[in-house]
Amino acid sequence: MRGVRLPEDARVKKSAFFVLMMVFGISLMIWAGVYSLRARKLAAQQAQANHVVLTPDGAAVPGAGTGSAGETTAQDIPLKGKAAPAFTLVDLEGKKVSLADYKGRPVVVNFWATWCAPCKLEMPWFEEFRQKYQAQGFEILGIAEDDAGKDEIAKTAKKAAVTYPILLTDGKVAPAYGGVDMLPTSFYIDRNGLVTTETIGLASKDEVEANIKKLLGPGDAATASLGAAPAVGAGR
Amino acid sequence: MKLFAVSAVLAALAVPMVRAQDVGFENPSKPKTYIVYAAEPQTIAAGKKAVVELHFKVQDGFHVNSHTPKSELLIPTNLKLDAADGVKVAPLEYPAGTAYSFSFDTNEKLEVYQGAFTVKLPVVATAGEHRLSGTLRYQACDHAACYPPKTLPVEVLFTAK
Repeated sequence: MRGVRLPEDARVKKSAFFVLMMVFGISLMIWAGVYSLRARKLAAQQAQANHVVLTPDGAAVPGAGTGSAGETTAQDIPLKGKAAPAFTLVDLEGKKVSLADYKGRPVVVNFWATWCAPCKLEMPWFEEFRQKYQAQGFEILGIAEDDAGKDEIAKTAKKAAVTYPILLTDGKVAPAYGGVDMLPTSFYIDRNGLVTTETIGLASKDEVEANIKKLLGPGDAATASLGAAPAVGAGR
Repeated sequence: MKLFAVSAVLAALAVPMVRAQDVGFENPSKPKTYIVYAAEPQTIAAGKKAVVELHFKVQDGFHVNSHTPKSELLIPTNLKLDAADGVKVAPLEYPAGTAYSFSFDTNEKLEVYQGAFTVKLPVVATAGEHRLSGTLRYQACDHAACYPPKTLPVEVLFTAK
């Protein structure tokens, strides 16, 4: 072909073809880029919405786990540092109980269910720590996130020797706390009504107490272990 | 010409790249279902007692209560199948679970299914193809947390000859 000169029409057609193909190629790349960006944004939103905190990877093998739920990080706890969502629920005696009733007191809001075996393991620990730190105004509110009847819930609480308030869900409280989709889930709320920590899954007894001590602050935790009985915080 | 060729190659690569990114954003830590079931067509003898097997698999890292958990408060794994013409169904046969306890309290033993488990369905069916629909209700946990009860649609397909 070298040395053969194409007619003017053929050269124009060839050039036009190349230009068209380039435009097509560039358009395809732009489309792919836009599609990719949209897909990534959508996936990122879904990942954010579905985010849950699992316990360490090494413990994920059934039966081989450390069983430690651990403390979630600030990034994992949307409510951290924010006011704990208010609620008014009914307890097992039919009495209305509000979170606001415990204003000025350190509180753990513990979501559990009758079908949740790890929940029932930690409930006696909560009871024990409630007794131990009651002089500091510490309280546990157990919210049964459960379809079971009141009698079954009461029976389970009794079996766990729990005397702290057990409240029946209204179906709105869990979504208000970010959608509790694993149990047990606990929110540690300080005297100012701010969420300081959220734990998901069963933690060790030591970890539970460490979280409670952190909630109480160094002074209160120390006085509890000395058996002193300082004044309860601001009260109801 | 070279420019065109480069553009075409880049454009061709762009589509598979997009697909790879889609897959990468899936969240594997939280499966939508903790049990997997795939209908496997089976063949049995027509008009005679036969057993159709239903194979389930609990996702790695999770367990579900067996059909007979040790506590009345635990939610058992339970399969319910709708009636179908030409098929007489006897009570389902569930496997025994394996003992499981949480590391913080080894005294309390649960009975669970982990990994693969098979539910047996004794039937007597007329000749032909049959389809039974139903649901498997279960409640899953991992080593430290539990998840709300779920139901899994199940279809049983078999041919009686």
